[in-house]
Amino acid sequence: MIEVTGSLKRRLAVWLLLTVTGLGALLMIEAWLSTHRAAERAFDSQLEAAALTIAEAVQWQAGEPLVEMPAAALQILATHHQERVFYAVLDADGKPVSTNMSFTIEPEWRERVADAPWALTTDFDGTSWRLYGREYDSAGWVSQEPVQVWVGHTRVGRQALGDELFERTLSRFLAMVLLAGILMAMALRVALGPMRRLRRQLRHRDADDMGPLDARVPEEMRELAQTLDHLFARQRHSREALLRFTADASHQLKTPLAGLKSTSELALKSQDPADWQAALLAVHDGADRTSRLASQLLSLARLRHIGEAGRVAPLDIVAVLRECVLDWAGREVARDHDLGLAELPSGPLWVHADGWAIRELLGNLIDNALRYTKAGSEITLGLCQHRETVSLYVEDDGPGVPAEARERLLQPFERGGRQDTEGSGLGLAIVDSIARRLGGRLSLSERSPHGLIVTLDLPLCDPDATRETPS
Amino acid sequence: MTLYRRRFTWMLLVTLCALVLSARAQATPLVIEAALDYDVVAPLLEAFRSAHPEIDLEFHDRSTLTVDALVSEADPAPDVVISSAMPWQMARVNEGYAQRLDSPAARSWPAWAKWRNEVFGFTFEPIVMAYRLDLSKHMMPPQTHADLHTLLTTETAQLQGKVTTYSPLKSGVGFSLFQQDARYTPRFWDLVAGMGRVGASLESSTRAMLEGLSDGRYWLGYNLLGSYAMVWAQEHPEVIVQVPQDYSLVMMRMAFIHRDAPHPAAAAAFVDFLLGREGQRVLAGQTPLFSVRPDIVGPYTAARLRDQVGDRLYPIPLNASLLAFVDPQRRDAFLARWRREFRRDD
Repeated sequence: MIEVTGSLKRRLAVWLLLTVTGLGALLMIEAWLSTHRAAERAFDSQLEAAALTIAEAVQWQAGEPLVEMPAAALQILATHHQERVFYAVLDADGKPVSTNMSFTIEPEWRERVADAPWALTTDFDGTSWRLYGREYDSAGWVSQEPVQVWVGHTRVGRQALGDELFERTLSRFLAMVLLAGILMAMALRVALGPMRRLRRQLRHRDADDMGPLDARVPEEMRELAQTLDHLFARQRHSREALLRFTADASHQLKTPLAGLKSTSELALKSQDPADWQAALLAVHDGADRTSRLASQLLSLARLRHIGEAGRVAPLDIVAVLRECVLDWAGREVARDHDLGLAELPSGPLWVHADGWAIRELLGNLIDNALRYTKAGSEITLGLCQHRETVSLYVEDDGPGVPAEARERLLQPFERGGRQDTEGSGLGLAIVDSIARRLGGRLSLSERSPHGLIVTLDLPLCDPDATRETPS
Repeated sequence: MTLYRRRFTWMLLVTLCALVLSARAQATPLVIEAALDYDVVAPLLEAFRSAHPEIDLEFHDRSTLTVDALVSEADPAPDVVISSAMPWQMARVNEGYAQRLDSPAARSWPAWAKWRNEVFGFTFEPIVMAYRLDLSKHMMPPQTHADLHTLLTTETAQLQGKVTTYSPLKSGVGFSLFQQDARYTPRFWDLVAGMGRVGASLESSTRAMLEGLSDGRYWLGYNLLGSYAMVWAQEHPEVIVQVPQDYSLVMMRMAFIHRDAPHPAAAAAFVDFLLGREGQRVLAGQTPLFSVRPDIVGPYTAARLRDQVGDRLYPIPLNASLLAFVDPQRRDAFLARWRREFRRDD
């Protein structure tokens, strides 16, 4: 099932927005502070210049400081923002020698300015003012006392300049963000290009095309592409296996059918009823074999098709094994062999399995052993209990199978290189399928001095508990 | 039918009367304290009254120094303050006594004729010399400041007691003009010394000087308001107005709305009218105050004055430097120097 959980673009956009908003807010606070600081500095230097100009005009006459207020100083103070201006020249006692407004210069301000020039922001009659004070030593013939020059103006220009600088910074920042957003979107488009190309390639792929992908992908998509390739390869293999199985099955069915046809043709040409009788018997045998082959094919196909088994009840494998061996021992085919049971564990052993599946499995193993060993051979079935598993084994003292052929035996239509029997070669394939279904493991091994052991390991389970908790 | 109509007419009349009466009762008063002759400005005030019948205009014509004192002392405060004493007006605005006028006319007003959008120079009055015809019988009438200085130096005896000018002490306008003169050239002090030598009479108003000229008491007047002198000369042919050919100062009347104006809306309406097309047209056409606006046509406009006397018009700049003129120490120093030069004996 494909569940769409938001778009990559939107997620990226949200992250970008969050980052930009967060960092941007901090950046803008800093910008606001620094631009207004810069504006203050720029205008403070005007105050300094005005104070200097006024200080130049201070002269001493008859022991009194005298200021002929220079018009230029006032113009410097007013700036082109036409600020309201304030000036005061104070004598050593803090008494105004000359001033244009009766603003009070606090004694502590004067003390501070006595040490070093100083600027401050304060409120006079409801308006914010910036004041700058500076002390000048001046010498006259009668007295030599310092004078303090205080100048000030309203702060309209400072705020306007600060705001203007800030607005400029802000607009640049916004433009940058916008540009970054556009570039990001474009980059995203380019980055998602390989994904789009891959999608297009997959969409235009032929249904039968199971070949590996032919695409240029970035590092981040290599895994995806490889996984897709693996998937295709697996599909290709299973498809090939299916085709081979179908071809093999058809071939296997064709041989007995051809035998039937030739036998019946021969009988038809003959006039002798005895030949007819013999042909009919041969046909009967052939039909038997063919029908058995067909049923094996059917069960193999069904096993492969059913896939994963559902939840099944625990089964006592000891009882099933005993019952099955007894059943087979009584059959006609087992007449010439020594079919027996090894010593079984005393108590029941529980596994998760269907009864029919275990019977089918045992049946196939016993049938195989009977078919591929000479008459009089000994076939023994048994169980070995381990800590968490149980091993079910079938051993014979027949000719055995060479080690290199054993794995192939599990493939359908594989007879271990033996052409001397009428087996279909499907038995072990069916057993393997069942073993996989039950979560077990099938293995073939050699018996000394000769013979074959087929072992099925199955996980044990607690008869009262569920499948997942084997004790 | 007729009866009904008559009754209806009566009702209408009564309603109208009631409306008029209530309108009269509700009329917003507007108090203007101005250093501006009522006779000169009357056409403007009439135009305003007819444009704004809902405002009851009260116009007080006072001296510049009285007007200045009223700004801080009057209770209730005046709505609009008009004065030709530019430095004092500027100082009051700097002290925060004005309120900002935000109107299209105020915004488009030339930047050189306003400050902070609070105070507006709304006239453009050249400062002139005036002489009596008698003068030209005895000597070449002066055309420049230098001519005047020469006359005062060479014709000391003939001009004794016949020269008049503003008193810097008694008149704010006079003081401002002399300050501005002194800024342009130090030779101005020679002129003052020359005035002292001929025993110039110091008057407190242009009107007094003009009357003296017409009476024959004076032959020559220096630094008269051109606006008054030109009107006077039209009715008194014996008085000739001379715009100085080297440079001519230009004074502007400055108007602002008082911070504590009891009727700010009416005050804003008045100043807006003053600066607007209509007010300036009246100013240019019916008063000799000269309109500042370049888009106004009439006999009295700054543009036309420039055409007549050339580019030698030097308006007293309407900026913070005016504040220096009212600095007490600077003023004292200036007046002391004035006295010293006026009594200079050499």
